[in-house]
Order: sequence, then C-alpha cells, then structure tokens
Amino acid sequence: MGNWLISAWERIEKAFLVNGRYAAYLNGFKTTLIISLFAVLLGVAVGLILAIIKYTANHVEKNIILTLLNWIANIYIGIIRGTPVYVQLLIIYFIIFAKMDTSPIVAAVLCFGINSSAYVAEIIRAGIEAVDVGQMEAGRSLGLGWGQTMISIIMPQAIKNILPALGNEFIVLIKETAIVGTIAVRDVTKAAQNVGAITYDLLPPLLITAAMYLVVVIILTKLLSIFERRLAQSDRR
Amino acid sequence: MIDVKHLDKVFGDNHVLKDLNEHIEQGEKVVIVGPSGSGKSTFLRCLNLMEKPTSGHIVFEGKDITEAKSKEVNQIRQKMGMVFQHFNLFPHLTIKDNITLAPIKLKIMTKEEADKKAMELLKRVGLEDKADAYPAQLSGGQKQRIAIVRSLAMNPEVMLFDEPTSALDPEMVGEVLDLMKQLADEGMTMVVVTHEMGFAREVASRVMFMADGYILEQNTPEEFFGNPQNDRLKDFLSKVL
Repeated sequence: MGNWLISAWERIEKAFLVNGRYAAYLNGFKTTLIISLFAVLLGVAVGLILAIIKYTANHVEKNIILTLLNWIANIYIGIIRGTPVYVQLLIIYFIIFAKMDTSPIVAAVLCFGINSSAYVAEIIRAGIEAVDVGQMEAGRSLGLGWGQTMISIIMPQAIKNILPALGNEFIVLIKETAIVGTIAVRDVTKAAQNVGAITYDLLPPLLITAAMYLVVVIILTKLLSIFERRLAQSDRR
Repeated sequence: MIDVKHLDKVFGDNHVLKDLNEHIEQGEKVVIVGPSGSGKSTFLRCLNLMEKPTSGHIVFEGKDITEAKSKEVNQIRQKMGMVFQHFNLFPHLTIKDNITLAPIKLKIMTKEEADKKAMELLKRVGLEDKADAYPAQLSGGQKQRIAIVRSLAMNPEVMLFDEPTSALDPEMVGEVLDLMKQLADEGMTMVVVTHEMGFAREVASRVMFMADGYILEQNTPEEFFGNPQNDRLKDFLSKVL
C-alpha cells in the first residue's frame, strides 16, 4: 500500500514539479481561458444579433430585408449546428487562414465564437419567446415603444430563461476548446500531452489537466447559481 | 371621442369583425356583451390598435389613428388605458415600479412625481402597504386593481377593459367591479367587455350585444335587459341571466 502511494506521488511529482513543468500547465491553462473568454464574448455578441433578427422577423411586421436576414441567419445556424466543431476548426485554420499568417489562437477564438453564436442565438431567441405575449401588450398599451418595452420589460424577464442554458453553453465551450492542440495551440490539454511525451507517463498529466477543467467548471456553476438566485428575487411569495 | 368607421378584421380565413360603425361619446360607459368568439375582445383591441384593423378607420379625438405613424400611435395609447383579463403586471418589478415605469420612461413625470402619484393611487385602492411587494405576492383581485391603477397613472382619457374579472376567483370579482364603478362615477369614459351582467345593468350608459362579428343590438341597460328585440340576444340573455 505504502509503496503504491509513494510511486503514485513520484509520478505526479515528475509530471508537475520536476523541471518546473507546472509552468507548462499554467501557460496552457491561461491559453484555454483566453480562448474560452473571447469565444464566449464573440458568441454572445453574434448570437444576440442573430436572435434579434430571428425574433423581429417572426414577431414584428414583415418586410423584405428582415425576411432575407432571417433566411441567412437560419442557414448560418443550420450549417454551424449541423457540422462538428472539430471540422470547423480544421477548415478555418488550414483552409481559410492557410495563406495568412494568423495566430492559431485567433483562429481558435473565431472558430469557437462562431460555433457558440449559433447555439447562443437559439438560446436567446427561445428565452425571449418564452416571455408571455401579454407583457409586450401591457407595455405597448401604456404607450411605450417596441424597443422601450423590449429593454425595460421583456429582456429582464427573458434573462431569467436564458441564463441557465447560456451558462451550460459556456461550460460546454470551455471543455470543447480541448481540441485546439490540433492547430498547434498550446492549451492545457496540449501541455499535458507534451509533458507525457517527455516523461513517458501520460496518465498523471491528463489527470492534472482534467482537474483544472473541473475546477473552472465548478467555479462557473457556483457563480451562475448565485446569479440566478439574485434574479429570482421577484419570484418569492 | 372615438369613431369607428367600416371596421373589418380578418384572421386568416376567419372574418372576426364585419363592417362595424360605432361612435363613443366622452363620459359614456359602453359595456359589450356577447357569446365567446363573437369578436367583442377583438373590437376592443382594435380601438387602441393592439390589433391592427384589416380595413376601416378608428378616429380618436379627431385623429385617424389607423393612418398614424407608430410614434403617434404610442402617444395616442398613453391616453387610452387598457386592462387585460390576465392582468399582465410586470413580474420582475415591484408594485410601485409597475405603476411608475411608463410615466418615468415616457418622461411624463419625474421619478418623484411618479412615486407620489403611485402612492396616492395605491392609497385610493387600499394597497399602499403593497408598494414594495412583487406581483407574485398579490391575490388575483389585488393584481387586477394594481393593473387598473397602473393605467390610471398615465391619466388616460378613456379606459378599455378586456374581460377584467374573467380570470378571478368569484370572491375577488366584487373588489375589482367596485373600483370600476368608482371610476365610472367620476366620469371616466369606459369601454368594457365583460360577462358580468349585473355590472352592465348597474354601470353602463349603453349595452352592446355582439355576435358573429356584428353589433346586433344596443340600448340603455333598462331596455337592453327589459325589452330585448333581437332573437340572438333574447336567446343569449335567457342563458346568462
């Protein structure tokens, strides 16, 4: 038993402490967080625009430009959601950016941002549509404009519907970025593989990496539940 | 005050309102009754363009609102309060904020003025202790009274009621009708779609019977209930009275 523990510790020490190898994980981890953060921001920004296009095209008066934009949004969402993010990453880096001297990190941010935007668009649209139509009518009957009603009355309620699903999307996105090693980004997963290749012992680095993802996801889950509880204030009876 | 000219409304292949012509005077209390699906709610909702008429004109205080730009429509709606069957209070806002949101956002009142007005109105309906509560904490009757107060905060010239007591438990209907009676006594112009025949008899200056998208009969409450002419109305009254 004792021997087993000692050898396990030696393997972890070799994977993490010897030669300052922890720096590789931390740098990789930083890269993972940077890619995730900017991809989330891009995803929410593009997703919000897509959601507004889809919502207005279906719920406000019809016009040709909106119908066309809605059509484009549907094709975009259909293609992005219908193809693997891994394939999208390969296409963006090796084909679209092949001739350009673009940092693979930028390509990764773009890829995951675009991918996430398609899911975020549907999450936001569904969240807005779940708000009772009577809320818009009540706002409009008081003389508020469509935009004013949207901002002051509909969106604050929609956020409550959107947040849990959006949080889930963030969590999925952070974990999905583990494939960016394919385009030579040294994220935390790639760092683990590199260490494993040096020490000829892949299990400890992978466990260390898994633990790092797990910690971030737990922290994020906690933050979201705090935020959700704050938003649920008006539900108390 | 409100003129309705050749109003038609079609939903898909469902012809809901058929060439309605009507005139509502200032100070009138018009109560609209009729079987469900008769178009009475749609008619009411056309008056403030919650429903866009398929054809015809609504003229409010000399202005044709069916021709108005959306900005003008918003301004006209400020003068036409509307109360809904399902209250439609804003669940994420406190009662006071429900009342003050529109006056403040539309820059009709400052925050202080709106707060003062809200507290006056809440005192009037005996709900001043609920100012900081959320809608979920109120009973149905209280919610509907707040919804009425929310409309009143805009100082409307006419109030439209769309089955205001239909979603209430029976014991809460009275408190809402009492508030509506008070408004009527104060001279508010009111158009009310309801199934409360007692209210129609007591408060209305004119009762209107709608069926199949037509206004089939209208009269003073005494004549309407005492001496109905139309066969559909006789049949309707025999079922509801």
